[in-house]
Amino acid sequence: MEKALLFLPETFLLITTLAVFVGLMVRATAETCRYLAISGTSLALVTCIALLGMEGEPFFPGIYRVDLYSQLLKLLVLATLLLVLFMSGRPVTMRPDSWPELSFFLLPATVGMMMLVSATELLTLYLALELSAFPVYALVALHRGSRRCGEGAAKYMLQGMVASAVTLYGMSFLFGLTGTTYLSGIAAAAPGLAHQPLFWVGLLLTLGGFLFKLALFPFHFWAPDTYETAPHAVVTFIATASKAATIGVLCRVIALVVAGDGILDGEGLRFAFIIFGVAAMTLGNLAALVQRDLKRLLGYSAVAHAGYIVVGLQAFSHLGMTSVIFYTFGYLAMTYLCFLVVNEAAREHDGVPMEAVAGLWNRSPFLALCLLIGIFGLTGLPPTVGFIGKWFLFSAALENGQFLLVLIAALNSAIAVYYYLRVIRMAYLVESQDASPLRPAPLVVAGAAVASLVVLWMGIHPGTFWHVIEISTASLAAAF
Amino acid sequence: MAFPILSAILLLPVITLIVVMLLPAGRPDLVRWTCAVFSFVSVVFSIVLWVLYDSAAGGLQFQEIVPWVPSVGITYHMAVDGFGVALVMLNSIVYFTGVLTMWTLKERVKEYFAFMILLVVGVYGVFMVQDLFLLFFFYEIAVVPMYPLILIWGSTRKEYAAMKLTLFLLVGSALLFPALLAIYHVAGLNTFSMVTLQEHAFEIDFQRFVYPFVYLGFGVLAGMFPFHGWSPTGHVAAPSAVSMLHAGVLMKLGAFGILVVGIRLLPEGAVYWAPLFAGLAAAGVIYGAFVALRQTDFKFVIGFSSVSHMGIVLLGLNLGVLGVAGADAFNGAVFQMFAHGVMTALFFSIVGYIYDTAHSKTISDFGGLGSQMPRAVSIFIVAGLCGAGLPGLASFWAELLVFLAALKTFPLLGVAVIAGLVLTALYVLRVFQQAFFGPRNPRWEGLKDIGGWELLPRLILVAVLVYFGFYPAAMLNLIGSTTNILVEAF
Repeated sequence: MEKALLFLPETFLLITTLAVFVGLMVRATAETCRYLAISGTSLALVTCIALLGMEGEPFFPGIYRVDLYSQLLKLLVLATLLLVLFMSGRPVTMRPDSWPELSFFLLPATVGMMMLVSATELLTLYLALELSAFPVYALVALHRGSRRCGEGAAKYMLQGMVASAVTLYGMSFLFGLTGTTYLSGIAAAAPGLAHQPLFWVGLLLTLGGFLFKLALFPFHFWAPDTYETAPHAVVTFIATASKAATIGVLCRVIALVVAGDGILDGEGLRFAFIIFGVAAMTLGNLAALVQRDLKRLLGYSAVAHAGYIVVGLQAFSHLGMTSVIFYTFGYLAMTYLCFLVVNEAAREHDGVPMEAVAGLWNRSPFLALCLLIGIFGLTGLPPTVGFIGKWFLFSAALENGQFLLVLIAALNSAIAVYYYLRVIRMAYLVESQDASPLRPAPLVVAGAAVASLVVLWMGIHPGTFWHVIEISTASLAAAF
Repeated sequence: MAFPILSAILLLPVITLIVVMLLPAGRPDLVRWTCAVFSFVSVVFSIVLWVLYDSAAGGLQFQEIVPWVPSVGITYHMAVDGFGVALVMLNSIVYFTGVLTMWTLKERVKEYFAFMILLVVGVYGVFMVQDLFLLFFFYEIAVVPMYPLILIWGSTRKEYAAMKLTLFLLVGSALLFPALLAIYHVAGLNTFSMVTLQEHAFEIDFQRFVYPFVYLGFGVLAGMFPFHGWSPTGHVAAPSAVSMLHAGVLMKLGAFGILVVGIRLLPEGAVYWAPLFAGLAAAGVIYGAFVALRQTDFKFVIGFSSVSHMGIVLLGLNLGVLGVAGADAFNGAVFQMFAHGVMTALFFSIVGYIYDTAHSKTISDFGGLGSQMPRAVSIFIVAGLCGAGLPGLASFWAELLVFLAALKTFPLLGVAVIAGLVLTALYVLRVFQQAFFGPRNPRWEGLKDIGGWELLPRLILVAVLVYFGFYPAAMLNLIGSTTNILVEAF
C-alpha cells in the first residue's frame, strides 16, 4: 500500500488526464477543461508535498526510484504546470477549436516528466521521454495557422524525434556493452569499460535526447524557431517544465554512471560538455543580440542558459549538482515571468515584436515590474536568484580550478546584458501606440506574484532552498 | 544583545523602499516627504555610528553575525572599521541631500525614488558587510539601478550613456566573478568571511595572478584610467541626484573594493602590481584634468574632474601598499574618497539647479552669471575651489597627504601629479571666468537665484566641506587607527 502511495501524484494526474479527456468527449468548454486540469494538478501538487521525504520504489526494484530528489523535481514540474495553466486562459494564438486540448495535452506530458525524474532504467527512461514529448509535439502544431508556425512545429517534432532516436541508439550501445538496462547495473560495469571509447560515445548519445530538450549546442537549432512560432502558453511550458525534467534526468544519469564509484575518469565527457556549454552560451548570446522578436530572443537566451547550466553540470560534483538544481528552480520562475508578461502584453500577436511590451510601465505597472524582475533574473543581477544561482554554478566549476571557463561564462553574461536591457528599455521608456491599460486576470496575477516572490526570495535568502536541495542531491552524489 | 545599528542602517532604506512602493503613484508629495524623513533618519543613525565608534581602538566594531547559507560558508556578517564609518556617513549625506535636490522632480516620482533607494541600499551594504559574497551581492545591487535611472530620467544621449555605463561595469563584474570565487576555493576554508580569509596566507603566485582581476574589476567602477570612458558620459546623462550618488558614492565602491578585497586579502599581489597601477592612476589624474580643460559642458568638466580626483584615491591606495609613506597614503586615499564624494555631490547638486533654471549646461552660453545668481554661483565656486585643493576645504588635506606620499615614494611621479593639480586649478578657474564673471548675458535676465529650501542640501554639503577643511583631525582620528592596522601588513 505504501508503495502505491509513492506513485500517488502521478496517479492523480493520470486520472485528471482521463477526466479532461471525458470532458473533451462531451464537448466541455475550454474553461471547464482548464479548471478541471487546475483542480487535478493542485490535488497532485498537494499530494506531492504531503509525500515529501518518503522514499522507495513503487514498482520492480531498480526501475523507478522515488526519493527527495525526484520529489522536489516533481513538485517543481507540477507547480510549473499549475502556473502555466493559470496563464493559459483564452490562448488566442491557438486554433479556436483546439483550446480545450491545450489543458488536455499538457497533463500527460507532465506525467511523462514526473516519471522521467524517477526513472532509473533505460527503457522506463525512454518511455517517459516519449510520453513527455509527444503531447508537446501536438501542442506546438496547434497554432491558428500562419504558415510560419508550421515550420517551428515541424522543426521541433523532427529534431525531437531524431534526438530520441539518437538516445535509443546510445542506449543500445550501453546495453550491448553491459548486458543490462538498469542504470545501477551500468554503473557497476562502468569502471571496467571506462577505457572503451564506445562506452563514452554510448553515454553521450544516450544523453543526446535530453540535451535536445535542454537546447544545448549542438542540439539547439529548434529552439529559436519553436519559441518564436509556438502558441505562448505552449512555449512557456516547453521553456520551463520541460527543462526541469530534463535537467533532473541529466543529473541523475551522470551521478549514477559517471561517478559510479569514484575511480571513473569522466574527462572525455567533461571535455565534450565544456565545448558544448561554451559554444551554447557564446552562440546563444551573440545571436540574441540582433533579435527583434521577443520570443525568439528568449529562445536564444534559453540556449545561452543551457550553456551556463552545463558549467555547473560538468563539475561532476555535489556542489555542481546542487547548484544546477538550485538554478533550475530559479530559472523556471524567471522564465515563467518573462513569458507570462509576453503572453499578457501580446495575447493577440502571432509573432511578438519587441514593441509589444512598449509602454508597459504605463499600461500595467505590475506586469512591468514582473518583467523587470524576470529579465534582471535572466541577466543575473541581484537581488534576484539569477545572481546567486550563477554564483553557485560558477563556484562549482572553480572548485575544479576552471578559472578560464568561469571567466568566459561571466563575460558571456556581461554580453547578454545588452539585449536584456533592450527589453527593459522598451518596457520602461518607449511609449506605445496602444496605451489601453492591461488588466491581467486574477489567476495570472497570482501566478506572477508567486513567481516573482520565488525569484526574489531565493535571491535574497537562498539558505532554506539550498539546504533542502543539497540534501536531495546528496544521495545522488554520494559517489563523488 | 546591543542594538544592531548596522542592520538598522541597512534596513532603513529597504523599509523606505517598500513604503514608497506601496504609496499611491498619484501622490508625489507623499513620496518625497517619506524619502526625506527616512533619509534624514539614516543621517542621524550614521552620526550615532560615528560617535559610538571607538576610534582609539580601531578595527572592526558593531559586529553582527548571522549564518546565511551555512553549507557554502556565506554569512551575514556586518561590521565597520574606521573607513566604513566614514563612507557610511558619506553615503547618508549624499542620500539625504540627493533626495532634497530632486524635490522638484515632476515625472514618475515614485519609480525614481524607488530605484534611487535601491542604489543606496547596495552602497550601504558594501561599506558594512564583511562577507565576500554579500559584498559582491550589494556591489551589483548598487550598480544595477543606474541603468533605469539614467535611461528614464536622464538627458544628453541618455540611452547611449546608460548602456555604456552598464556594460562597462558589468564587464568589470565579470572579471570579479572568477577572481572572488578563486579566492574562496583556493583558501579552502569553506567561508566567504573576509576576516578569516585575511588571515589566510595565499601563495604568492596565486596572489599575483588574481590581484589584477580584482583591481581591474573594481577599478572600472572607480573610474580607473584607461577604463573610465563610461564615467563622464554617465555623469552627464544622469539626473542631478543620480550624478551625485554616482560620482559621490558609487565610484567609491570601486576604490573600497580594491582596498578591502584586493589589498587586504592579497597584499603580496598588491605590492607586485602597485608600481604599474600607481603609474596608471597618476596618468588618470593628469589625463582627467587635461580633458576637463577642453570641455564645453559643465557636467563634462565635473565628470572628467572625477576621473582625475579618483585617480588620486587610486594613487594613494597603490602608494600605501608600497609602504614608504604607507599611513599617509592610505589616510589620504580614504579622506579623499570622503572629500571628493561630498565635493562632487555639491557640484552636481548646484549644476542641477542651474540646469533646471536656465535649461542649459553649456559653459559658453553663460557669462556674468555671478551677478544674476550670486548665491548659486558662490556655492559652485566653493566646490570648484575644493576641487582645486584650496586650504580650508576638505580636499586640501586629502590631496596633500597623497602628494606627500607620492613625493616620498616616486619623486618624479609626485611632481607630475602636483602639476596635474595646477591643471585642476586652471580648468576650474576657466569655468569661473567664462560662465560666472565677465559681462552680463542679457539672455539670463530674470533668472531666479537659489533660495529658501532649495539652499538647504547645498549648504549642508558646503558645511561638511568646510568643517573637515578646518578640522581634518575629526576624520584622521577616525580612520587613523584603521590605517595603522592596515599598514602593518606591508
